[in-house]
Amino acid sequence: MPRQDKTAIAASLASATCSLLGTPAATPVQAQEEPGWDLNTALLYYGENDDRVQDVSLNLQAIRNFVDDRLLTLGLAVDTLTGATPSGAIPFDGPQTFTRPSARSTYTTPPNTIPLDDSFLDTRVAVNASWQQPLGRLYSIGAGLSASNEYDYMHMGANLKLSRDFNKRNTTVSAGLAIAMDDLSPVGGAPIPLSQMLGEDDRSNKTGDQSKDVFDVVVGLTQVINRNLLVQANYSYSNSSGYLNDPYKILSVVDGTSGDPVPAAPVPGEDFPSHLYLYENRPDERTKHSAYGQAKYYLSGKVLDVSYRYMTDDWEIDSHTIDARLRWPMGDRSYLEPHLRYYTQTAADFYRISLVDGEPLPSYASADYRLGEFDAVTVGMKYGWKLASGHEMSVRLEYYMQDGDAPPGQVIGNQALQELYPDLDAIIAQFSYRFGW
Amino acid sequence: MHKYMSRIGLLVVIAFTAGCSSLGVEPWERDVLAKEEMQLVTDPVEAGIDDHIYFSKEASSGGRGFGGGGCGCN
Repeated sequence: MPRQDKTAIAASLASATCSLLGTPAATPVQAQEEPGWDLNTALLYYGENDDRVQDVSLNLQAIRNFVDDRLLTLGLAVDTLTGATPSGAIPFDGPQTFTRPSARSTYTTPPNTIPLDDSFLDTRVAVNASWQQPLGRLYSIGAGLSASNEYDYMHMGANLKLSRDFNKRNTTVSAGLAIAMDDLSPVGGAPIPLSQMLGEDDRSNKTGDQSKDVFDVVVGLTQVINRNLLVQANYSYSNSSGYLNDPYKILSVVDGTSGDPVPAAPVPGEDFPSHLYLYENRPDERTKHSAYGQAKYYLSGKVLDVSYRYMTDDWEIDSHTIDARLRWPMGDRSYLEPHLRYYTQTAADFYRISLVDGEPLPSYASADYRLGEFDAVTVGMKYGWKLASGHEMSVRLEYYMQDGDAPPGQVIGNQALQELYPDLDAIIAQFSYRFGW
Repeated sequence: MHKYMSRIGLLVVIAFTAGCSSLGVEPWERDVLAKEEMQLVTDPVEAGIDDHIYFSKEASSGGRGFGGGGCGCN
């Protein structure tokens, strides 16, 4: 064969190979990689009544889809918190003076109002990253890391999830593990449990930093029932150990007959609390068990999402949560979604309205309203719409109400005239924007 | 005791998966289930925000996923 022909054949072979490997191959790769990054952003305002906690929060989540269903998720949340929070002390018919957690100054609350500690101010930054990918044909594995930082708190966590599909992928069984290692550096130091609140500049009852560990296990089953119905059932176990106190919460020490706070002995030349208050103490271990069920039902364009959770723990707290959402399409591009949530919990066995002067101190005691018995209702509405560009927006407005009562057997004397449980009303307003990039 | 519990757990899983095998759809019947609004969590950012709010204000957490937390919420 002449040399010229050989060159021509080589050139045409090369060009054929290129056209085989090059152009046609590029198209499916591009198609699989679309849409690249999926970005979810949300701006949240959370505001409580009576100038209690106000939070403005910016949230970003970026999901990158790689070929073969491999998924990278990155998240960022920044919260700016201000406002006051109930200290745990009870109201009575007179003013009360407290030392701030920093011990640098004192503050006084008016008669007949639930004492709020207004020294609450914080910025929280939280980040997380996770990777998920198939493992063989039927398994999927995921691993993630999380961290958050506040002025007085630092969290580091890691998690691992494994799932397997059965029955033509109509059944998925999953299991996950998560560990968290958190460090607390309370403002002014962590108080010695059940020690008395001291005067300004007196930190003799404060200790150094504290820590807690949390270990979580979740096992779950997801099942497709038919073309329009999907259900999920989970069991979770959670164990927390270490410092589980809220270092800023206190209890009033009261007179056994009148129920009024016992005045503190004055310290000459010093600003000091007006009455006797003790810092709370909780057990250093807590084990929770939860059962969770969720159903998603599609009914001629509308989607009903209902879930229920039962939780029980060794602090004797039992809770029930029912959550329902109905996504109602309005034309092709928008929807309305009403939301209703009901929550109820029993009190922790060491929850106390106050401690009685002269009686022996219990090992554990807390007046934190979140450990009391209460019901809560959330009602909300969300409106979402899709722009011509394919970007999605939504606005959500919700109202959250907590309604609790002091345990009747614990109310002493004049306490019956006071509102002892700090009911909570809060507004949740959110704007979300989602787009591909 | 632990061995006993894990055996029961395994039996429950087997029973579920066997019982579930008669339920479900064929791969070509997944048009509705594939819709974004039919995913168990439709808006993960919103779900994260809600978990954080309720974790901060109530004594329960988790259920759908891990317990959440990682804050010194007052």
